[in-house]
Amino acid sequence: MINKMTTMEQQKDDKPDLTIDFITSSAIGRINFRFLLIYIPIFWLGGLTVMIYAVAFIPKLEYWIAALLYLPASIFFMICLFIIGCVFFSKLILILINLIHKPKEGIFKAEKGAKEFEFWQIRIQLKKISIWLLNNCPLPWMDVLAFRWFGVKVDFSSHMIDAWVDTEFINFGRKVMVGQGAVVMSSMILGKYLIIKRVYLDDYTVVGGQTSVSPGTIIGQDTVLGALSTTTFNQVLEQSWIYFGFPAKKLKVNKYAEVKPGAIKRIDVDNAIAYDVEFDINIDDDKRKLINNNNKEEEGEK
Amino acid sequence: MSVPCSLRVGPFTSNLLLKKRYIAIYIAIIWLSFIPVLTEFWFYWQLLWNNTNALHFYLFLPLFGFLAYVSLVFSGLFVAKVFLIVINVIHPPKEGIFERTHSDKDYRYWNIRLIVKKYPVWIAHKFPFPFLDNICFKVFGVKTKISNSLFEGWVDTEFIEFGKNIIVGQASIIQSSVVIGNLLIVKKVKIKDNVKIGAHSIVMPGTFIGENCILAAHSLTTVDQRLEKNWIYVGIPAEKYKLNEFNKDGLEELIELNIDVDGIREKYEQLYDRGERTHVGYLQRKKEKEEKIEQEKQRWQKIPT
Repeated sequence: MINKMTTMEQQKDDKPDLTIDFITSSAIGRINFRFLLIYIPIFWLGGLTVMIYAVAFIPKLEYWIAALLYLPASIFFMICLFIIGCVFFSKLILILINLIHKPKEGIFKAEKGAKEFEFWQIRIQLKKISIWLLNNCPLPWMDVLAFRWFGVKVDFSSHMIDAWVDTEFINFGRKVMVGQGAVVMSSMILGKYLIIKRVYLDDYTVVGGQTSVSPGTIIGQDTVLGALSTTTFNQVLEQSWIYFGFPAKKLKVNKYAEVKPGAIKRIDVDNAIAYDVEFDINIDDDKRKLINNNNKEEEGEK
Repeated sequence: MSVPCSLRVGPFTSNLLLKKRYIAIYIAIIWLSFIPVLTEFWFYWQLLWNNTNALHFYLFLPLFGFLAYVSLVFSGLFVAKVFLIVINVIHPPKEGIFERTHSDKDYRYWNIRLIVKKYPVWIAHKFPFPFLDNICFKVFGVKTKISNSLFEGWVDTEFIEFGKNIIVGQASIIQSSVVIGNLLIVKKVKIKDNVKIGAHSIVMPGTFIGENCILAAHSLTTVDQRLEKNWIYVGIPAEKYKLNEFNKDGLEELIELNIDVDGIREKYEQLYDRGERTHVGYLQRKKEKEEKIEQEKQRWQKIPT
């Protein structure tokens, strides 16, 4: 890791080193049986929407051939209805909870009695049931619909079903891709503290597979964050660069952002012209003189 | 939010001794676990369909479905535990390093134990209720509290001790057994109170993590590593990074002071100058969207001459 020596030196001065240059997780802090009070009503009410459909339509099918033909479509429809019902009722309960306590950004205590922490857990758990159901269905547009419904600014052009994405305090641009197994978190538990900060993913950004994006990161337009890399707290990734590493650093300019797919170079094979290309040779500066001298001598001979 | 398909890491210590005859164990466990659920449904049907109005039957069916799933998990657990007790009486589980051959008795029984445990743990993890997972781990001999959140990661089901207030991050793996070359290593993992394990990190068998430790994301511990208490560990393999000062009270303001807010704000303003969008009408929003789509078309279809 970078800055390791500097941090060790700082600790000698008896000042606590509180910079956040590493990531932990945004999994829920404590699991409680009290969450069942939220789960059971959502499950029941979501199931009742399916039951209304079943009561209304299934007894009317008297011919069994028609019923058999209709069955797969109706099962698919019932699954969709169940998910939409779950999302709808969880949204209703979410509105009630947000009326009691409004979600805020900032640094809070992550202990048993702390108000902000408890409400954060309830919010996460509430959304979990419907998002879990959606992630286990092959319906990516429903996933985006649920995210929009829960108050995340997302367009239908962006895609994040294959990743873990927190459902609050995230702004998506257009055509954002979040890779497989990536973790985009807007909240993080650090020892005794809970940190919540908004994450911005601007237009055309690509987040690679298995990366973790920490709260407060801002990813500019056309940037690519490579696979297996992490961003630190409050990091700003500039426009049209490729970032990679642990923590993420600038790798090179994202030229794929400027030159779009129409610009693949085409070469006429029949009338091909050979170009001389000068390469930089990867040698120490002392030895480079030798090479140049040799070349000059050869030129001189000619 | 929830764990998607690509994050749901399978068992790293996969049983490599898959024989056809083990299907018999699976079939027995699944069959026996479904019997109580079906009897439950029969009673429910008798009670509400025949005796009262059919509407009541439909009204309570979703609630019954939920109860049926939970009872399926519990019955599967019960049957698997009975199987496990019988297997452990024949050959008690041991720690140590074993040879990975069919003739080695420890290796064979390790495989059978994993096969028996797999069904209930799988079925508990296929439901968005984290308690079911924790109950499964507890029954199979992992020392945990119910309040620990182990749902997001993947945790081995034997030779693990957890303390209080532990968080296991998304897609992280805690394993007490690993296959290296021709050897199987089984060693106890001990994780003390208030330990936070980050996302995508892996804890190998035999590690001891002290109190108030933080293992950051994307880090890996080696076999038999000891992490001292009150430290933050980062890297592959995990090394001491700095003292964990985040465990003291009343540091909220100090942490906020440490963030260079003005610098971040400047950087942010260089990237974005639009700021928070004020409320606009539907028609204007539609117009903006169409303009943006046209811009995109021009970007993507431009062919350089």
